Amino acid sequence: MTFPPRPWLAGLLASLAVAGAQAADEYSFDAAAFEKKPFELGGFVQFKQEDSALNRDGAFYQLGYFGQPQRASLDRSTATVELTGKLRGGIGTFDFHSHSDLQSDQLGHAQSNVLYEAAYSLRPDPGITLEAGKRTLRWGKGYSWNPIGFVERPKDPNDPDLAREGYAMADADLIYNRDGPLQTVAFTPVLLPVQHDVNSDFGSSGHLNPAAKLYLLYRDTDIDFAWQGQGSRPARYGADFSRNLTSNFEIHGEWARIQKFPKPLTDSQGQVGSKVGNATSYLLGLRYLSENDTTYIAEYYRNGTGYSGQEAGQFYQLVATAFAQLQETGNSALVQRALKLSQGSYGRPNPGQRYAYFRVQQKDALGIVYFQPALTAMLNLDDRSYQVTPELLYTGVNNLDLRLRLYSLRGERFSDFGEKQNSRRLELLMRYYF
Amino acid sequence: MKITLRILMLATLLTAGVTVQAAAIDGAKILEKVDRNLEPESYEAYRQLIDIQPDGSKKEYVLYTIKKGRDKVIALFLSPPSDKGRVTLRLGDNMWLYIPDVGKPVRITSLQSVTGSIFNNADILRIDYTSEYNVAAAEEQPEAILLSLKAKTNEVAYDSLKMWVDKKALLPTTIEAYAASGMLLKTLHFKNVKDFGGGIRRPATLETDSPLYKGYKSVMLWSGLKKGSFSDSIFTLNYLPRIQELRK
Repeated sequence: MTFPPRPWLAGLLASLAVAGAQAADEYSFDAAAFEKKPFELGGFVQFKQEDSALNRDGAFYQLGYFGQPQRASLDRSTATVELTGKLRGGIGTFDFHSHSDLQSDQLGHAQSNVLYEAAYSLRPDPGITLEAGKRTLRWGKGYSWNPIGFVERPKDPNDPDLAREGYAMADADLIYNRDGPLQTVAFTPVLLPVQHDVNSDFGSSGHLNPAAKLYLLYRDTDIDFAWQGQGSRPARYGADFSRNLTSNFEIHGEWARIQKFPKPLTDSQGQVGSKVGNATSYLLGLRYLSENDTTYIAEYYRNGTGYSGQEAGQFYQLVATAFAQLQETGNSALVQRALKLSQGSYGRPNPGQRYAYFRVQQKDALGIVYFQPALTAMLNLDDRSYQVTPELLYTGVNNLDLRLRLYSLRGERFSDFGEKQNSRRLELLMRYYF
Repeated sequence: MKITLRILMLATLLTAGVTVQAAAIDGAKILEKVDRNLEPESYEAYRQLIDIQPDGSKKEYVLYTIKKGRDKVIALFLSPPSDKGRVTLRLGDNMWLYIPDVGKPVRITSLQSVTGSIFNNADILRIDYTSEYNVAAAEEQPEAILLSLKAKTNEVAYDSLKMWVDKKALLPTTIEAYAASGMLLKTLHFKNVKDFGGGIRRPATLETDSPLYKGYKSVMLWSGLKKGSFSDSIFTLNYLPRIQELRK
């Protein structure tokens, strides 16, 4: 028995064949397109819109807006471009990371161009790296603070993952591996010069500052010992560790001591002195991932160079006295003195002595893949002031990050977060990678 | 009496036969062969991860992977630009993630996913099955051998696996991954067996779906898989920022 030809059947089979071929093609992958190139360039462009409610009773608002028109709010737009690049040749690589931004708000415009990193590295062997140039070295295991971050600019606890500007230095990395409980030993020596036009914000000029870090992977625990010699800054040393207690539960800690640290202190009348002593800082933290993909990060930070509630209170009292005097007499000398102090250690993002940090973030919330809400809280344990930051992050569009954050600050008068410049800030960030 | 004796003899023979049959399947040896058939003990390879969302939209990642010995693996993200330069390192049960902007490695867990896809870190940084699982049972089926695997420790991402192994090729065709509660977490489908050269013939496509992510699918494609020889110094936290320079 034979069947007559059926054009529709032939057509259907042809369609199925094409569909099959397309399905096979759908998953084809050729790695040749991803071979290493002698030159690479990448980066991102970012737009950030911030709407801040100003804390007009706060000490840092009064100092920040001294001599300017008083405001209740500030809207700021910031456009940022960061470029990263590599140029390879033989055993050497030159790499750079630049940051440029343009800010605009009701007060005016500002522009900045900063070279975060630019260094040349030589790798004669996988276990040996020698490099010179501007480099960001990040030491320590803490998520929000790093007491042993001896040769880096301090991180912003509000955005700990942000890239930061490095320092000009020469450094090396020597790695040694072995079998047994001590699996890895790595030594990182650093030389960091300070002159009036090189690394001038590191400390006093005219010094070639030595520093070093020794890393050990011992019985599945990361351990670092860090040291920075006397030079532009007082000598300091410290250690850190990180370990998984279970596959979803990590603990970490840091400890650092700065010898003969001079801490500027003021009283409420603006009499400024310096208290010299050894400053001990430490941090204990944990990271836990639940079965529901919720990540919890908690840290306790003791800042040995920070101000107690009473010491900080003297500064806030000084600001209040200075502006009262200005209003009564027109004399701004005390305000100028307070302003100068606010640009130093009193004006750090976290000038207190004891902080707690807590962050919870949910992966794929509400069943939406790449949607990650989070809540972050930072608390000054001495004066009970705090900052709470709910956040929404979506990364489901290729190469695009969308983030919405609301910073809310609360605290009594003369408290850390109660005296900040803002009482609330809404931030929308869009970042596109290329 | 004769009938009873015959039944007894038949039962004895049948029992002996079953015993011989069970003894013929050495699950542990099969699993070792599966490990070596999937990859050489030390290798380098390129992989593409594709996450397909219910609406059909995709997110694609390209990773350069190197593995040394039974429990050292590194994966470097080459694409997309938002993830380029990220590196994950696994040494046994320890896993770290290095993000260039963060500038230092942080410990991660096997159940997390650095890509946010159905593939978790244990899938992306997979080490030999024999390093993580014991064979609890081996059963011969018409087309495949079913291996029931039990995690050696609580640190392993999946408490148990059911692995269907192609009898001839001794390569996995399907793996079901279960939590300790017995809940099915995901199913892995191995497809498109391809000759990579150098005596390596293995599936070039791995698809996964999960009842926890209804409508979503993730696919892993292999390319450029070849034997390699690497220094131990590469598998350290200090080397992670420089992994990009390792590629030829």
